[in-house]
Parts: sequence; structure tokens; C-alpha cells
Amino acid sequence: MFNYYMALAVLSLKRNVVLTVLMIAAVGVGIGASMTMLTVFRAMAKDPIPNKSYELFAVQIDNWGPRKSFSSNGDNLSEQVSYTDAMALMSIRAAKRQSAMYATGAALTPEDPERRPFRVHARATYADFFPMFSVRFRFGASWTAAEEAERSEVVVIARELNDKVFAGANSVGKTLNLDGHPFRVVGVMEHWEPIPKFYDLNDMYGKSEEMFVPFGRAIENQMPSWGNTNCHDDIGAPGWDGHLRSECVWLQFWAELPTAADAEHYRSVLNNYAADQQRSGRFHWPPNTRVRDVREWLTYQHVVSNEARILVLVSFSFLLVCLLNAMGLMLAKTMGRAGDIGIRRALGANRRAIFSQCLIEAGVVGLAGGCLGLALTALGLVGLRSLLSESVSRLTHLSISEVAIALILSIVATTLAGLYPTWRAAQVQPVWQLKAQ
Amino acid sequence: MEFRPILSAMRRNKVGAILIGLQMAITLAILCNGIFIIVQRVALSKRPTGADESNIFVIPNQWVGSPPDLVARLRGDLTALRGLPGVIDAYATNSALLSNGGSSEGVNLKPDQKEASAQTALYFADEHALNALGLKLVSGRNFNADEVTDKMGYTDHGPAGVVIITRALAEKLFPGKTALGQSIYVQPADHAMQVVGVVERMQVPWVGSWSANFNDNSILEPFRYADTYAYYVVRSQPNQLAGVLKAAEKKLYEVGHDRVLEKIKSLTEARAEVYQDDRGLAVILGVVCTALVAVMAFGIVGLTSYWVAQRRRQIGIRRALGATRSAILRYFQTENCLIAASGAALGIGLAVCLNLWMVSTFEMERLHLGYPISGALVMLLLGQASVLWPAMKAASVPPALATRAS
Amino acid sequence: MLKMTHLSKAYRTEVVETYALRDFSMDVGEGEFVAVTGPSGSGKTTFLSIAGLLEEFSGGEYQLDGANVRGLNDDQRSKLRNEKIGFIFQAFNLIADLNVLDNIDVPLRYRGFDAAERRRRTQEALRRVGLPARSRHYPAELSGGQQQRVAIARALAGSPRLLLADEPTGNLDTQMARGVMDLLEELHRDGATIVMVTHDPELAVRADREVHIVDGQVVELSVPSRRIAAASITT
Repeated sequence: MFNYYMALAVLSLKRNVVLTVLMIAAVGVGIGASMTMLTVFRAMAKDPIPNKSYELFAVQIDNWGPRKSFSSNGDNLSEQVSYTDAMALMSIRAAKRQSAMYATGAALTPEDPERRPFRVHARATYADFFPMFSVRFRFGASWTAAEEAERSEVVVIARELNDKVFAGANSVGKTLNLDGHPFRVVGVMEHWEPIPKFYDLNDMYGKSEEMFVPFGRAIENQMPSWGNTNCHDDIGAPGWDGHLRSECVWLQFWAELPTAADAEHYRSVLNNYAADQQRSGRFHWPPNTRVRDVREWLTYQHVVSNEARILVLVSFSFLLVCLLNAMGLMLAKTMGRAGDIGIRRALGANRRAIFSQCLIEAGVVGLAGGCLGLALTALGLVGLRSLLSESVSRLTHLSISEVAIALILSIVATTLAGLYPTWRAAQVQPVWQLKAQ
Repeated sequence: MEFRPILSAMRRNKVGAILIGLQMAITLAILCNGIFIIVQRVALSKRPTGADESNIFVIPNQWVGSPPDLVARLRGDLTALRGLPGVIDAYATNSALLSNGGSSEGVNLKPDQKEASAQTALYFADEHALNALGLKLVSGRNFNADEVTDKMGYTDHGPAGVVIITRALAEKLFPGKTALGQSIYVQPADHAMQVVGVVERMQVPWVGSWSANFNDNSILEPFRYADTYAYYVVRSQPNQLAGVLKAAEKKLYEVGHDRVLEKIKSLTEARAEVYQDDRGLAVILGVVCTALVAVMAFGIVGLTSYWVAQRRRQIGIRRALGATRSAILRYFQTENCLIAASGAALGIGLAVCLNLWMVSTFEMERLHLGYPISGALVMLLLGQASVLWPAMKAASVPPALATRAS
Repeated sequence: MLKMTHLSKAYRTEVVETYALRDFSMDVGEGEFVAVTGPSGSGKTTFLSIAGLLEEFSGGEYQLDGANVRGLNDDQRSKLRNEKIGFIFQAFNLIADLNVLDNIDVPLRYRGFDAAERRRRTQEALRRVGLPARSRHYPAELSGGQQQRVAIARALAGSPRLLLADEPTGNLDTQMARGVMDLLEELHRDGATIVMVTHDPELAVRADREVHIVDGQVVELSVPSRRIAAASITT
């Protein structure tokens, strides 16, 4: 019977082309708009590191005390930590892996004197960073523990930078001139671009760094932070050393805590540390610390922008209007065909048969509308890419799951919209309509 | 026009009328809020910086390494820039307008205030800055050359003795009296700074919502910013920006080639870039709202055409009984008007509710009532326009239809 | 086959109650050809609707092929209708979108026959009514007489126990009408039970017997149609 109803549906849709086109267009446009926004929304809300998002934790510690901060998240904690706390936590070693880090950069002077120096964005971090964040290497590996301890002038570079400077060859062992210092390349990464850039939300949808330098070396070279520095009341003594000793927060701190037990342990270590600071007089308030895993961190940071939420809301309301429209058109179509339905009922179709027939017809409209909607979504995403800034453009790619969502959403929604017209059709009495004519 | 027969006829066709009414209501709600957001974003993107934007470009200058003679290099650069033909003036600073990067602090009126009196942006500027930005002094004076000292990066905490502030900040800190001669403390405050000049306007460097409520509060501190990474702000003669920009880049590389000069842009370009997402949002909302109206209009046309077709016989009978064409037309237009009015009424309520919800969830502003009311009128007109074609088809149904069996 | 006892059908509005059928009794045996006559508004149509399980009735009893129809739900009535009754309407009531074969096929689909069975029955039905077996024409392309034949084929395809005809020749010219009536008589000779509603006495004559309805009740005719028809022949 399903095939029969499908054949009848196609026949019926072909009969009144204008109405069919209007219905499919209504559904298609609605699906197109809502799927376009949903794609961007889902990209924003996506888990950037699915395998490990429950094992990686951002560490927060209140080193300013109770205050009226002008941009607080309500818990009096800032998103970054101070140098003092970062170094203390690194030395405590309470996690399987951990790394303090910050965004910085340098001027790279190419070997060819004809070419001008150019800016590279870098991240100062510990070697633990790479296994923590599942970074894979194309050539070489990260620096060794020895190199880290010695603060060697070594660097791990991104694939893109390797392509730019070394034409993609294996550059391990070669040297890069960074701000006049020769840094030896120890590793070249595979393409790595978590979206959003969860480990440093100063630059949420920005490109990932072009190179990574050992933290100790960056500090020793006084490489300044290219991210956010927040000093609250105390900008500290002048100079770089004064800055390091101040209570300014400008570092991110991440810990890998594979099990719940590990997380609990870390939490207590962290609290004990804060309590120690209180005892020693550096803090004048009770311990206030948090660790949040990646998913919690993204929610806490409101990574999905209000604009994205508004657009999803608006576009789904648009879909609703389109479905109401389609419902009206389906109603018109059904009631115009009441004669046929009456005949079928007289010939022995029960209500369920009519129901099935009309619902399947709605489903076919939904399928066709979904296909149109997909085409419009692709178009819409292209439009978004040209309209919005580059960082958002990274979010506009259609994946298989979105294709599936579009089609399923379209079929289900259109079928739901078709429920009332179908119910009306099933109410048609056998052959009464014919008498009225 | 008698409403009761129309209403009772509509009651028999309840669902269709409800569908149209609902569509109109939802469309109105979305339209009102959507257009409101568009207007807001456009207004946002048009906020003036206070500077002579069309003639200013910004050069982010990054030295390779940390040269020991930063101050000398800085002076050399500025001299070179100022000496270029077509350049009105130039200066070096920590933060450029429309760049979304800079330094922000709280401002106190007394040394040990717990809570800041106002929030502000801090710009480092020398005695050439006002001229290089085209800022207007409304009272007081510019910095003197001997008041300006060198600042080697943010961690060089040398104090400023005098400052120039914006009019908005002056009115916030010293309402009703002159700011000149007053002392302010920038956190962490331990020394007073005296206000010697007030400029008409200088916007903070950020455009996001977090700085919206101190958007025009800025303080200029008399420092020459000699850091590895600094911004050179250059103002050219009218209509010469492109040429001067190229000449400046070339000249700087001549003066010293161990530097990076990337992303040199004019303030006009910077404005377009920094507000790109706001403008984008406005465009997207505009497209969706237009599509919404189109879908709604088509829906009305479609459904009304169907009703007309369904009631052909009835219309024929009415005509046979003496109704004129225009009477039939008016019938359908009245019917549509009633539906549209209910839809619009519901829509106004929905628009306000939607807005209130968005205010609490997204920190938006409240909708002016003018939007939903004028929107409702537009809906009514739109409904009437949509129903015109099917209504005219109805009016052309011949009276002879009454006599024919179907 | 069809047995109605003291059947009544009332239409109630807010203001008034009218009876379309009142204390109506009728008994049609298997193989009979009965004509149901009466003036406009007499209740013939209502009788047919009830007989065809298209409408419910208010009082009395109706047995179709031995089965008591009162209290059956919509699903059961649809099933009964599908299996036991073949309709022949005045306006043919073919589905315009479907061709001849697909039209005849409709009740067979709801019956649940497989494709081979449906094909066999369709071809058999077309042969019975004298139309070519492979007609892919659409109703709009056929003459009135041919359309009615298709409708009769559709009625026959499911091997119904009872054929209900409502003014089967009403929309046909004289020649086509004669053809259709010949076909009905032939079906009757082959054993079909036929109940035909008509207002035309010339047609009523061709049936075995006549039942006359006035104001919802069976009445005795003062001048049976046979006599009228016979009279018209002699004069």
C-alpha cells in the first residue's frame, strides 16, 4: 500500500502544479533559512575536542578577592590566572598533564634578505600541551623534557607556516630567526584548528597559532602577551619582572584529569593551595577556585553568541510561518479534492486509508521541500561567508549530519503540518460531497 | 458593510482564517523585533569616533626583536612620517580607534575610592595627537612638548601629570562644572593627574556591547609610546590617503628595515571591518524579514483564491440577486480586514512579549511601541494588497453561475 | 440479501426534526432486480445511502447478506461496503486523475488483493462490460456510456453480493442508456442482485418488481409503472 500511496501522491501533486510548487517553495524556503542558521549555531556549540572534552579542565583561582568587577560571571573568578599562581601550580604537579600558556608573537626574519620580516602568532606553552590537546605531528615531535628544563630556543611550527617558509618539506633541525633569536625547529604539526578555540577564548573563532615556543624560553625572552591582560587594582612594580610578580592575570591554565577521582583530587589540591596563600597573607579571603571541563567552560564563556541565538530563533519562526502557509495550501488542496476522497470512501477505503494516503502526500511534499531547502541552505551559507567576518566563516560548512537533519526535519515538520488537513480529509463522508455538487 | 454575515461565514471556515491570522501575528512579531535590531545595529555602526576618519590611516609597527634604542627609532620614524608630502601630522600610540584593542581603566576622583566613578579608555598621545586625529578641543589646551615623556611599553609605569579627557567623561565626572584644573586618579591610583584639556569626542577603541555604556569616555595621557609593538596614526591631506599610505610604508622601510608592517589600514577600512558582523546581522535579518513578508503574502493570495473557488456558486447567486462587482470585492476585502485586524492585534501582543523575553535573555533594548503599531498598520495594508487579486477574480464571477448545475 | 425492517432516518437541526425515511421496510432476495421509484424528495436517495452503508440510520433494523449492520463502526462498514456492495452512480464518479485500469483497481487495493489477482479481476470486469482489456484512457477521453461501463466494471471487479444503482442512465442519451440497461439486465440474468433507484417508469419496467416511496414510506401505487408503460405502448 505504501507504494500505491506514493504513486497517488505524485499523481496528485502533478495535477495541480501551481499549488504543489507553492507548497514545496514554502517548505523549502523555511528549511533553507532555518538550516542555514542552525548550521552556524551547531558549529558554534560543537564540542571542539570530542574525545577529551571531559578530561581537560580550565583552572581558575581568585587572586583579587571580593570586588565589583565590571565584567564578572557572577562567581568573582577571572578566566585567566597570574604568573605566580601558574608557576606554583606547575610545580605542584597534581594532574596527569598540565600547562600554563599564553598568546604571544614575534617577527620572523626570513633567510632570503629580499623578503621582509613578517608577523607570526605564537603560543608559549609547556610540552604537555601537545598530548593534552591531541595534536598530531607531521614531522618531528614536541621538545623534550630536557629542552624544556633548559629553556632551549626550540619551536614547534604549524603545517601552514612550514608550507610558507619551507615549502612543506621536513624542516626539523632547521632554524627560524624569531626577533633576532635563532630557534631550532623540533616538530611540524599536522593541520590543527579546534573550533572554537576553547583553550584561549580571548580569540574565540580565531585561527590557531602558527607556532609554539617553550614557556620558560618565552618568559626569559620577555615575549609580551598578545592576549588580554587584566590587572584590577594592582598593576605591580614597573618592568617585566614587576609584571611577573604582580597580580595581573594574563595566562591560561589547563590540566588533564582523566577520571572523576583525578578531578576531585585536583580540586582539593587547588583549594589547599589557595588556603596556603590565605595563610601566608597574600590572599585575604577564603579559597575561591574552580576547575571546569571543556563543555562547562564553553557554556560559562557564552561561546554561542547572542546573535547566533537570535538568528536561530528568527529563522525557526520563519519556518513556522512557512509551515502554517503549507498547512493552509494543503488544506485547500485536500478540500478541493473532497470528491475523490468521497468516492474512495464509498468504494471501501476506511479513514485510516485516507489518512495514510494524505499523510504520505504531505511527506512527499516534505521530502521535495527538504531537497530544495538543502540547496537553499548551501546558498545561504555561501551568502553568510561573504557577508560576515572571517572568523565566522569558519563555521559555515555543511556536514552530513546537517544534511540528514534538514531532510528529516522537513519531512517530519511537513507531515505534522499536514495532520490537520489529513484529519479533515478523513472526515469526508463517503459520497456526500458528490450529492452536494 | 454588515460584519455579522461575514463573521458567521468565516466561522464555518475557521481554520483557514486562523491560519492566516496566525501567520500575520507571527510575521508581525518577528518583523517588529527584527527591524528594531537592524535599526540598532546600523546606528551602532554609525557611531562617530570623533576623528577625521576619511583621512587617517594606522600603521601597526612591530620591530624585530627588542632594539635597545627604541626611543631614538621612534623619534626617527615620527620625523620621517611627519616630513612626508601630504601628511598633516602623525603620532605613536598604544591603541587605535576602531581596532577593538586597547587599555581600559576605572577613573577615581579621590585616591582611595573603592568603586570607580567612571570607566574609560586610555590612549597614549603626544602633542601632535590632536592634530593627527583631527580632534576638537572644546576647552583648555593641548599638551606642551615638555609634558610628554617616553613610555617603554605597558610595564613602564612612569606617571602622567596632566591629561586631556573627552567631554562625555568630563560630564560624567564633573557634572555641571568645568573639568579644567580638576584632578583625577586612574586606578591603581596613587598620584593625581590634572585635566588640562577637554576634547569634543574620542570613542573608545572597542565596539562590542561590553564597552557600550562608556563608549565616549576616553583619557589621553601624554606619552610617546616606544614599544616593540606600537601604532603610528597618520593623517593625510584630503583625497591623498592612498598615495600617502604607500609612501609612508616605503619610507619607514627605508628608515629601518628590521620591522614588520602588516595590516596597514585606513580608519574607513577599519570601520567596515570592525562592524562587519553587525552589518552582516542587519543584512541577514533584512533578508529573512523580506522573505517572511513574501511568504505571508503568497499564503494569503493562495488561501483566499481557494476560498473564492470554493464559493463560486455562492458568489454567482449573490450576483444574480443584485450584488454589484464592487460589493463582492468589498466583501472579500472586509473579510481579509477582519482577519488581518485580529492577526495584527495578536501580533502586537506577540511582538511585545517576544521583545520582553529577548530583553531578559539577550540583554537587548526594549521595543518602542511605535514599531508594533506601525507594523500592524503595514500588515493590514499588506493583507489588503494580497487579497486584491483573488477578490477581483471573485468579483468577476458571472451571475449566470447561479442557474447552472455544478 | 437486503432486509430492512421498520427503518427510520431522522435529520435533526436545532429547530426542526424531519424524517427522510419512516417505518421503512423492504426485503430483496438474492438474484432479484428491484426498482425503487418515487417523486423528488421522497427519500429514495436516503434509502440508497443507507443501503450502501454510506449513512447511519436512526431506528429499525438492516441486515445485509445476513449480517446485522446496526452498531458497526466506520472501519467495519468500510470493509463491508468494499467486499459486498458495488455502486453505480448517476454521475459515474470515476476519479479523473486515474485511467480506466487504475479506476477499476481502486476498490481492489482496499480489499488487499495482490497485483496478479487485481489484474485478473480488472480484465475480467472489463470483458463483462464489453470494453477492451487494455484501456489506458482517462475518463475525460471516454463517452458517457463508456464511462458508465467503466463504473460498472469497477462495481463488479470485487465480486459484490449486491449492486446499488442510482439513476444509472440519468446522464446518458437514449442510445447509451439503452446499452447500459441491456448490460444491467444481462448481469441480472447471470445472477446478480440489483437494486436500482430511478424516477423513469420506462426503466422501472425492466426490473422484476417495483418499490414505490413517498414521503419516506413505501406506498402502494394506484397505477403501477407496468401499467403506465404498457399504456404508453398501446397508445
